[in-house]
Amino acid sequence: MTPDALSILSLACFAIGAVVAIAGFRFAAWRKASAQFAAVGLGVVFKTVAIGVGCANSDTHFFNSSSEIWGLLAWALAVSFLLALAVSGARSLGAIVLPLVVALMVLALVSSQTSQDLGIPAGHLFAIHIITAFLGYGLFLTACGASVLYLEQARLLKRKIFGAIFNDLPSLERLERLEIICAWLGLAAFSIAIATGAIQAGRLNKAFWSEPKYLSSLLTWLIFGILVIGRAARWLHGRAAAKFVLAGAGLVLVTFALSHPITHGTPAFRRPNADKTYVLCARAGGTPAVRGSCS
Amino acid sequence: MTPSLTDSLLVVGLSHHTAPVALRERLAFRREDLPHALSGILARGFHEAIILSTCNRVEIVSVARAGMADASGEVRAFLAEHHRVTEKEFGASLYQLKGCDAARHIFEVASSLDSQILGETEILGQSREAYRVAAEHGACGPMLRGIFERSFFLAKELRAEGGIGRVQASVSSAAVALANKVFEVKGRKVLLIGTGEMATGIVRALRSAGVGELWVASRTAERATEFAQREGGKPCRMQDLAQQLELADIVLVSAAAPHYIIGPAQLQAAVARRRGRAMCLIDISVPRNIDPAVSDVNEDIFLFDIDDLEDVARDGRREREAVAERWRPKLAEEARCVLRELQEYGTGETARKLIKHANATREDILEHAHADGLDPKTLAKLERALERLQGRILHGPLETLKEASREGDASDACAWVSRLFRLEATPLTPPVQGREDVNAKAQHNPKQEQPRQPSSSDPKSAIESIRTAAAERSSEIQRFKTGETPSLQSGV
Repeated sequence: MTPDALSILSLACFAIGAVVAIAGFRFAAWRKASAQFAAVGLGVVFKTVAIGVGCANSDTHFFNSSSEIWGLLAWALAVSFLLALAVSGARSLGAIVLPLVVALMVLALVSSQTSQDLGIPAGHLFAIHIITAFLGYGLFLTACGASVLYLEQARLLKRKIFGAIFNDLPSLERLERLEIICAWLGLAAFSIAIATGAIQAGRLNKAFWSEPKYLSSLLTWLIFGILVIGRAARWLHGRAAAKFVLAGAGLVLVTFALSHPITHGTPAFRRPNADKTYVLCARAGGTPAVRGSCS
Repeated sequence: MTPSLTDSLLVVGLSHHTAPVALRERLAFRREDLPHALSGILARGFHEAIILSTCNRVEIVSVARAGMADASGEVRAFLAEHHRVTEKEFGASLYQLKGCDAARHIFEVASSLDSQILGETEILGQSREAYRVAAEHGACGPMLRGIFERSFFLAKELRAEGGIGRVQASVSSAAVALANKVFEVKGRKVLLIGTGEMATGIVRALRSAGVGELWVASRTAERATEFAQREGGKPCRMQDLAQQLELADIVLVSAAAPHYIIGPAQLQAAVARRRGRAMCLIDISVPRNIDPAVSDVNEDIFLFDIDDLEDVARDGRREREAVAERWRPKLAEEARCVLRELQEYGTGETARKLIKHANATREDILEHAHADGLDPKTLAKLERALERLQGRILHGPLETLKEASREGDASDACAWVSRLFRLEATPLTPPVQGREDVNAKAQHNPKQEQPRQPSSSDPKSAIESIRTAAAERSSEIQRFKTGETPSLQSGV
């Protein structure tokens, strides 16, 4: 099977998971974490195989087209959701995360599949950097989903609105625990990503410290670091912690935008000449199909 | 004679739907009176009986003897005699259901679809208990066993798959549900202020949800100590309230004080020392004893009053009613199905007995022939001739039974075949797939294994035949239905 076919299959699985999650708010019979787990798990398997096949077919490295980057982000978010579901059983989280996964998968399928050779050297270090960075994004965004649910449940409890959403949402304690677990795991993954990124950039003799992407990544890391320490020391909790996570998630999006060529960001690992070509091409409205030339 | 199931299964009773509590309590049976009452109802000519007596209903489920002119009249007379009330006093509140309607009603009762609080769990336990008592005293025979075991199975299925048990069915469980939305209540500390009636129910519900320590504070130390001893908690003084508020996660107030016992000032001090741990306050007092302003002291404080608990319980009710509406047709279909299975078993059993009777007669003739000194060759010829004769004679009645079974109500055919061939009365036995493991005590009770068969000429042998035939029963019926009964084949 081609990566595209596998991606379509995984999209179908994610869509089923999303429908089950949303229908769970309305119909008691649909409130089945196992159904969501099975659908998303299958989707993750298909997408993992699609990524594997894509990597095997790629001459240089994967993740250098819009399609691949959106697809990888969807995969990372789905993996994070599976982890969260396994840890907490908070199936209502799927109603927030899974539609986003589906949207990213659709974006991956309709966006350009033209590879942009940006002159980034392929290798295990780069692969580790990319995978851990995306897993970090996914886990932070999942923590953000848990925070949204926390704020909503706290609002319903305070205002005493006991409807279907209230009934289906888990306890505040469980949502907060989920938020912190995702933040911890995301922090671990992001730490690896930052470290491997620094090593990679260092090998290319690039002054990465001053890059906006790097600064933004560090700031994201710091925000989530403060969150987990504050939660452990009990001076940051409840709604304040949830709002802190939302701020952190905003920074995650900024970091993502600054890091990836699909958003015309400035990847730190490009060789100097490729960097120049890329910028020139981007300004001209084209894409650098071959290193050093514009298409 | 095989009684018609449509006529024989009978439910006579009254419930919260038809009678006020004053009447229900007059007709209620005490637990210790049940054996005597069961004997009384069986003595009036019923095969089997179960008495279900709860705070919301009094029902007598019975299997009437064939040919009983007015079975429901007998039950009414029994109720009047047993409780020493006139039939006039309760006659208008009484309902009576027969056959499929009766079976459906039994299913709905066990599944709590007929309960005052839809989805409550107590009725299933009460039904099991009624069944167990009847079984223990030999009043529950194979037919009621089949129907009640199916009802327990369906009740469990409805709870598991239908989701009726997922929503809270009372104020007590609503309190637990609300606390559970703030945090997991397991292991939490509870502070109870006041020892009102409703507090007991909520404390017990919290206990069964797994809360940890329970402290009880009351205006009088004696009352606090007495309540704490009864419910397994620790008494504490009202003067120590500030300290207890700092430690407790769930504060339940059920006092009758005319003023607020807990106000924002007390909570502010406690919250400062709790370091962000959420607190759930439940005030079920009327008038309220917790100042509503405490809710604004801190975002980690969640206050609920009795109206909120009732809102949650009511909200659950809508969901439960939807589940109940979905399940009612299913239960009606199950009722038809279980009665059909019982009926089919009755037909198969009659056929089995007919064949057994014919085989025994043939063997008897052959034994006599052997004793008369017939040579083996002639004996073999005679045996073949008898087999052919048996097959031809039985073909008609067996075909008639088969057709009657296919058409639905085979009771007349069974009765006629039994009378013509002088077979013993065919006891009805529930289908083999009685799918519920009820109370083990009831299951293994020797008295239950020997149902009363007042109309049977030889009840012990009938019961013995049920036991021995149990293993082969299903396949034999099946083979008979498809015309492959071994005896018949060899005979024809």
